[in-house]
Amino acid sequence: MFKKVLQSLSKSLSGNKSAPPPPKKAAKDKNLLDRVTKGPPAPQRDAAPARSTGGGGASILSRSTATPEELCEIKPGMSKGQIHDRLKLLYRRFNRSASSLDASTREEAERMLDAIVQVREKHLGPI
Amino acid sequence: MADFVGIDLGTTLSGLAYLKPDGTPEIVPNADGERLTPSVVYFDSHEDVKLVGSAARDGGDPDRTIFQIKRHMDDPEYLVDIDGKKWTPAEISALILAKLKRECSRIIGDVEEVVITVPANFNELARKSTIAAAEMAGMKVKRLVNEPTAAAVYYAQTQGVKGNILVYDLGGGTLDVTILNVAPDSLRILTSEGARHLGGSNFDELLLGAYSDQYRKQTNAELFSDERHRRRVLQSAEDAKKMLSKLRRVNDTVANDANSGIARIDVNREEFEASIRPMLTRTVMLVEQALDSAKLKASEIDEVVLVGGSTRIPRVKQVLETYFGKSPRTCGNVDECVALGAAIFAKTSSRIQEVCNASYGTLAMIYNAKTKEEKLANSVVIPKNTVIPCSRTQIYQTSEDNERVIEVDITQGEDEDPRYVDVIGRLTLEVPPNRPKGCEVAVTFSYDENQRVRALVVDKESGRSQEVAVSYRGAGVLSDEELQRRTKHLRAMRIE
Repeated sequence: MFKKVLQSLSKSLSGNKSAPPPPKKAAKDKNLLDRVTKGPPAPQRDAAPARSTGGGGASILSRSTATPEELCEIKPGMSKGQIHDRLKLLYRRFNRSASSLDASTREEAERMLDAIVQVREKHLGPI
Repeated sequence: MADFVGIDLGTTLSGLAYLKPDGTPEIVPNADGERLTPSVVYFDSHEDVKLVGSAARDGGDPDRTIFQIKRHMDDPEYLVDIDGKKWTPAEISALILAKLKRECSRIIGDVEEVVITVPANFNELARKSTIAAAEMAGMKVKRLVNEPTAAAVYYAQTQGVKGNILVYDLGGGTLDVTILNVAPDSLRILTSEGARHLGGSNFDELLLGAYSDQYRKQTNAELFSDERHRRRVLQSAEDAKKMLSKLRRVNDTVANDANSGIARIDVNREEFEASIRPMLTRTVMLVEQALDSAKLKASEIDEVVLVGGSTRIPRVKQVLETYFGKSPRTCGNVDECVALGAAIFAKTSSRIQEVCNASYGTLAMIYNAKTKEEKLANSVVIPKNTVIPCSRTQIYQTSEDNERVIEVDITQGEDEDPRYVDVIGRLTLEVPPNRPKGCEVAVTFSYDENQRVRALVVDKESGRSQEVAVSYRGAGVLSDEELQRRTKHLRAMRIE
């Protein structure tokens, strides 16, 4: 049912030319990453939290007025269970990003982790 | 010569242990008489000497003193500049290891081969840098072992824990949570999760903030204006933190270095606990992540064991007791059990089954024939928590007609979304011309016992292949030639 076609970062940018040194972080390659999804809307699991991919408008993280709920994409009416699941997904993602090789990604991850904790304490109660 | 030696190369403290002939592990003190050596290096400006340990921590010019270098082992660009010479994190760590080797060898005989512990979430680069540091210090790394695994080995041998065990390791700089199953004759790791830069040092900084606020209120002046004084107050804050684990209220007296007056600092446990609550929430989320990864519920954990100096904080124990509904187990030497466990591990590693700590894969366009969805994704070849050593293969197709060079990006990370994984290397393979797209390519990843990864790409039609071990580039990463050169240099250094 699935077909997997190799797709390197450099080829998405420069066709069949030989590869340049590997970039440090996938997030820097806009052309490729603009194609993360094509087709039906991605399910919630794949919904990236508002985050800069190197172009296409300001990241919500760069807006100082964004609330922790906005950063975590917590919508009004979400149940505690849904919030918990969403926060677990984001925590796993950004905790890993906090160990990224890319310094700006690490910094961004720390901000997201702070927001995740704030949302958790507010909606699910303090530990 | 000591046969079974383990080293805990910690963020704030490091220790070396060996296995005595009767099979019990023992910490070997350094030449200063300390069981654990502060992981601090001082570069003296008057003499050609590198101080490591308490003397380095308590003495000199902060501009020439390196603290917590372990936090930078995973940063390919990080360098320390001392008198114009650039030092990599691996070199600084090598100085710490060299002191341990040289001084402990006087007691237990030469130390040639060691097991070194690393945080469970140390990435490829940090692991490679740790091995390089040991080589520069004159030791061969028999194995790297994750810190919570080493601690669990210690608890299993000395404290009699068994069943599903969750190890909560909150040290000076990192948090690791590992779940494992301990049986009478085997120890099986189920998962290891880690959080970078979450440990006692963060709590010290919060208390330092409280000191600064109170000083400002009382004297209308800043508590410190330079790094030297900041370090001194930070040490006081750390002492206060330790006292708050025993007392509910602690008083201290501090002054700045500009004669702005003396202030009486008053900190209490309640306020301290409130200030660290967000960090403890993070630790609980990591516990939840580990339980999810192991597919276990909190009620299925038989024992929670504590490791690391920061687990002495009463609130840490309370939070875990509330979460699991049972008191966590603690031993008397939470600072030493990682090194002690590493020494046991050096002898018993064959009975211990470990898993890989990260997912490895490549980037691929995934077509779903049923839904017609096309999506660029991180295609995982070796999933996190696969038993190691291991080797896994996936078949992919070429993307274009007349593709002459097949490129495979090596990714680290489990997220399907490529924006949240690291591309840690690339493998290229030249293939014959004039072929249509869709030719099959086998991508194999192998993962060894030291949690290092290799990649092999085979073009199935031509049979051509290419294999590489992942290597990093960056100012803070030494080439093999440079590593050899600096090893020679380091071995001639005076390290006290």
